[in-house]
Amino acid sequence: MGAYLIRRVGYGLITVLGVLFLLFVLFFAVTDPDDIARKAVGERARPEVYALWKKNHGYDRPLLLNRAYAAGDSRRYTDTLLFDHYRRMLTFDFGNSDADDSLIARRLKEGMGPSLSLTVPLFAFGLVLGVLLALFVAFFRETYIDRAVLVLCMLTMSIAGLLYIISGQYLIGMLLKWFPISGFAFEPYLAGRFLALPVLVGVVSGIGADVRLYRTIFVEESNRDYVRTARAKGCGEVRVMLAHVLRNALIPILSNIVITIPFLFTGALLLESFFGIPGLGSLTVEAIQGNDFSTLRTMVYLGALLFIAGQILTDISYALADPRVRLT
Amino acid sequence: MGFLSNTLVVLLLVGGVWLARLVARDRYWRENATQLWRRRPLALITLALFLLIGVLDSVGWVGGGASGEDDVAALRSRTLIDRLFQPERFTEASYSAPLARLSFYGGQPLKHPGKHLLGTDILGRDVVYRACKGVRVALLIGGFTSLIVIPIALLFGVFAGYFGKRIDDAVFFLMTVLASVPSLLLLIALVMVMGRGTLQVCIALGITGWVHFCRIARGETLKLREAEFVDAARALGVSDLTIIRRHVLPNIAHLIIITFALSFTGLVLAETILSYLGIGLDGSWGQMIDQARNELSRTPIIWWNLAGASVALFVLILAVNMIADALRDIIDPRTRREGR
Amino acid sequence: MTWAFVRVAIITGSLALALAGCSNNPYPASDRAQKILYSSFSEAPKTLDPAVAYTTASHIITGNVYDTLLEYHFLKRPYELMPGLAERVPEAEPHADGRVSYLFKIRDGILFHPDPCFQLSQGEGRSRKVTAADFAFELARLADPAVNSPLAGSFGQVLGFVEFAETLAALRQTDPAFADLPAHEQYRRAGGIAGVVARTELELEIVLKEAKPQILYFFAMPFTTPVPWEAVAYYNGQPGREHFADHPVGTGPYRLTTYEKQYRMQLERHAAWYGSGVALADAPGAVFPREIAREDILNQQIDPDYAGRRLPFLDRINFVREREDIPRFNKFLQGYYDEGHIIKESFDAIVQNDALSPQMSARGMRLDKTVEPSIFYIGFNMADPVVGAAAGERGRKLRQAMSLAIDSKAYLELFLNGRGVLAQSPLPPGIFGYDAEYKNPFRQPDLARAQKLLAEAGYKNGLDAHTGAPLKLAFDTPNTTAQALLQYQFYVSAWRQLGLDVEINATTYNQFQAKVRRGAYQLFTWGWIADFPDPENFFFLLECGNAQAKSGGPNTANFCNGEFDRLYHAMKSLPNDERRHGLIKRMLALTEQERPWIELFHNEEYALSHAWVINSKPMGLSYPTYKYMDVKPELRARLQVDWNVPVRWPLYVALLLIVAVSLPAVRTFYRERQ
Repeated sequence: MGAYLIRRVGYGLITVLGVLFLLFVLFFAVTDPDDIARKAVGERARPEVYALWKKNHGYDRPLLLNRAYAAGDSRRYTDTLLFDHYRRMLTFDFGNSDADDSLIARRLKEGMGPSLSLTVPLFAFGLVLGVLLALFVAFFRETYIDRAVLVLCMLTMSIAGLLYIISGQYLIGMLLKWFPISGFAFEPYLAGRFLALPVLVGVVSGIGADVRLYRTIFVEESNRDYVRTARAKGCGEVRVMLAHVLRNALIPILSNIVITIPFLFTGALLLESFFGIPGLGSLTVEAIQGNDFSTLRTMVYLGALLFIAGQILTDISYALADPRVRLT
Repeated sequence: MGFLSNTLVVLLLVGGVWLARLVARDRYWRENATQLWRRRPLALITLALFLLIGVLDSVGWVGGGASGEDDVAALRSRTLIDRLFQPERFTEASYSAPLARLSFYGGQPLKHPGKHLLGTDILGRDVVYRACKGVRVALLIGGFTSLIVIPIALLFGVFAGYFGKRIDDAVFFLMTVLASVPSLLLLIALVMVMGRGTLQVCIALGITGWVHFCRIARGETLKLREAEFVDAARALGVSDLTIIRRHVLPNIAHLIIITFALSFTGLVLAETILSYLGIGLDGSWGQMIDQARNELSRTPIIWWNLAGASVALFVLILAVNMIADALRDIIDPRTRREGR
Repeated sequence: MTWAFVRVAIITGSLALALAGCSNNPYPASDRAQKILYSSFSEAPKTLDPAVAYTTASHIITGNVYDTLLEYHFLKRPYELMPGLAERVPEAEPHADGRVSYLFKIRDGILFHPDPCFQLSQGEGRSRKVTAADFAFELARLADPAVNSPLAGSFGQVLGFVEFAETLAALRQTDPAFADLPAHEQYRRAGGIAGVVARTELELEIVLKEAKPQILYFFAMPFTTPVPWEAVAYYNGQPGREHFADHPVGTGPYRLTTYEKQYRMQLERHAAWYGSGVALADAPGAVFPREIAREDILNQQIDPDYAGRRLPFLDRINFVREREDIPRFNKFLQGYYDEGHIIKESFDAIVQNDALSPQMSARGMRLDKTVEPSIFYIGFNMADPVVGAAAGERGRKLRQAMSLAIDSKAYLELFLNGRGVLAQSPLPPGIFGYDAEYKNPFRQPDLARAQKLLAEAGYKNGLDAHTGAPLKLAFDTPNTTAQALLQYQFYVSAWRQLGLDVEINATTYNQFQAKVRRGAYQLFTWGWIADFPDPENFFFLLECGNAQAKSGGPNTANFCNGEFDRLYHAMKSLPNDERRHGLIKRMLALTEQERPWIELFHNEEYALSHAWVINSKPMGLSYPTYKYMDVKPELRARLQVDWNVPVRWPLYVALLLIVAVSLPAVRTFYRERQ
């Protein structure tokens, strides 16, 4: 187990290095730091102001090789943008935003709370509701309920997320006046009302795909031999579903969940933006609209880190949960 | 735009011809096609209709039409859809409700009363016309991008799976790196960096979608490499490339088709998000939705703009989803649902 | 059995919660009785440094946290300057050698907001008096190239302003130790600005190289507020300390107490504003105007009971971030914001026949219409070979033809519900030189005449007469939002009628700026709102020295006309007399013919406020007036409840449906168990 863990984490680290290189190419090699400086400082500043800004934000050195140093001097390779990029990203030293010079690390801390308070309930409710509905449907498989729900799932899957948000805001916020249309409060007892609508919209927009997938897994599982044995022994269908099918179906469900974790991070992009929740998704949208490359870079990096971490966790949990998986 | 649209037409025709040949020659594919037709006739007809509109909107030329020398519109390249709708003449002053005779604000008589099936938008343009123009953009996003990406992904994936070792390690690493970045974020970063434009967005979509195909191709090739007939062919001394061409490719074709159908919808939906962020394609349904989303809040409500784009988007995606689903049931026996 | 019971319990519990807590009021109940004004902002301020802050978003804070030497009178129109921190509005004192000086006498006893930064000078003390040196410090900051103030160019006439900047830059280059000193030390050692002299502790003299009467307007803007050197030295962004750009220290009626700029900002009343001494109690900046014109009372913008009362009245001002227009306006309609600006989606429900609709009047709302001193226009790049000056007569006729094709009235109707004044010239109403009767011959839409002009220019039907090829023009913009693209499409369709093929190039901001720098643009659109009410603040956008191509200045049209520049320099420092009027008329005749701009409209703001908001006369010039406003909290609380009753019946219907649908299923289930 230990060897497997080390190998897995090791490979994850190498992947992180690869992702960082990709980011470097995108954000340093392809974009022009002069453009970024001008956007941040303003158009009509003196050249030394741009030079100072670039220096403060780490855009002023050469890309790969700093020929200002002699051939044997190690600083030739370390006083470059590439090395600096790696060093800073790996030590989580994110620096300042290109748009307004605020500390990115602080913005991340501020944004994490609201983001998590949206995505965790979204995730939890979505999972629970999805599993319950899928169980329900799998229980009644091949009946009219099953068919109706499957058709409904197909229909709901084909609607764009944007449309869910627009109609949700209109119907529930404006027409029915149940919850505020947008906004947020950091105080926990106030935040609930602001989060109800985005969580509702998020759950409804994702539930179609989830129910279909889980239903397939449950149905597959419930046709296995050991389940048939249980039924033959006289167990009630409900007990069969809950005690046997659900427990064993959790493994493939688990692997699917991990894939969706980074998508929670990005899917919340739209929700946060429309509902005015000052979280990480909102931060990303503003970075896009404000041409803030350093923040965008950080967001992409963190997204990748989460994904890689999630994959490692899944592999490990898979290995732990299912003794048939060979640990090589 | 002209270059891209012509390429699309050519590629579609080539693809169509290849598909027809496949179905005609191979009994296996003919059976699949017949089964698909039996299961999802409506979806196939809908898709064919959309494809027709897309092709019609790609064939265009300058001049012609029944207009005189002073017709300014004749000086620009107009497609068959343009000639059908004649947007320069078919425009009103501003909003009008579906099939209305009077304008929405002000109650002025319309130039073409009762002819606008889904009304007109803020600039008076017919909504059905704009929805039709959006078909080509959607096909461009979903189809064109995939058609470019698939050969490249196949190349990498098959070679990686077949030759193994170093090539496999390299390709697998590249795939993992690209797959680790959440695709929406990577997409946004690419478009921000390359700038806004049709080609840039298609390239960005291609880069983020490449991994999907490559992974499938590689996985399948790995399995096929161990198959007996491949061993036999190698023992007979057949060259690697020939083995790939004759044995590997045809056996992964079905998975590629399914993956293409599934990724098509993902690409089109991703573009709607890009449009909301302001970095999408011009003329797409996503842009129509973005322009129309504030109209729901007008009193009285203006719903036909949003409805036109949403319904078109919904119908296309639903059709493709249903076809993809049915295809998966027919072709890939492993995912066939049990308990029937 | 337990399973079913559990299910029922869960459902009932969550529904009960939903029904009970149902309310869309976003504010805590404890705030309901307090004198708080609720407002919103759409973009987070980039900086609150008064030397740099230039956007409306930052201004709502800096305008209330910082005081200035002079202020605009709240009620008088046209705008009139009155003393603020200064004892009176100074007269220009001309000298023999052409220089002009202004002497400001500063009121004694004005205290800064209490702040820990004053430890640096007061030891244990938390505040101190304002002196002339504080004004001098801020003016030095305006000159400092490291601060990069957008208004640095406007102070060029101050004696020694530019030289001071050079000296600073040079000293920093040559002496690294100098560059590490705190700002106030650097300014002292560089000798300060020659034309900014603190004569005594409370007397500030400003010396100009030549007459510039508009300089007084700058002393009503937060750019010239007194800034304590302690604040800049203390708030340097070191660990544990904020940046000065996020931590303003001023003398104003409100202090910034909450600054979560992505989400919420709060201002709270400054108790010691203008001190408590009797001498300051009657300062015009600290009291509500004594004379109130009859019309202000009649249209209910001002409550006469407030005449002469000590300001401010509100205890707190609460700003919440609202990125999208529609939720913001809907919250206003629900009563959760006290003031709002009308949006086009709701226009027809709110305004009917040019006044408030009956439903809105019944709610007690007020509508205030003001034409802003602004101009929105389409510009031609005069440096472009095809549409610009280089194309000579051909180019001019092309521009004139294109100008004749754009119907501003139709544009206003479509996109702005007609809110705006059609622009005939760069000058808006309310600015000296504006002529309400003047009709620009090239701004009366005339398609036939436009086609004729186009043919005369050699581009009949959009085809170049010499080459036969269609004329392709480019419209460049960094604005990629859906609404903007629709607006550009409107222009393109108008020009299409002439046969002109104009392509909209909507790119990212970086791509756009790159194009502008290269001069690779032909058509663009821009808007400008006056900093101060003087025609010079509009004409400078067409002066050759400010051309984008030459100096990266704001004259993006690159308009370089010798005659125009001559007239501009002659009129810019004149008082508003006959001679100035004559010069302006000749300048307008030039822009009429040359068409560097297609003037579209002057924006008209429709400001709405609720019945419980008092003294909400809009000021324009992005000048915040919160210190004059008041609210009636009980009225607000009552009406909020009245207007926001949740609609519950769909919930019950949905429940019924779910039960009805699952009943057969449950029955089947029980039957199977048997």
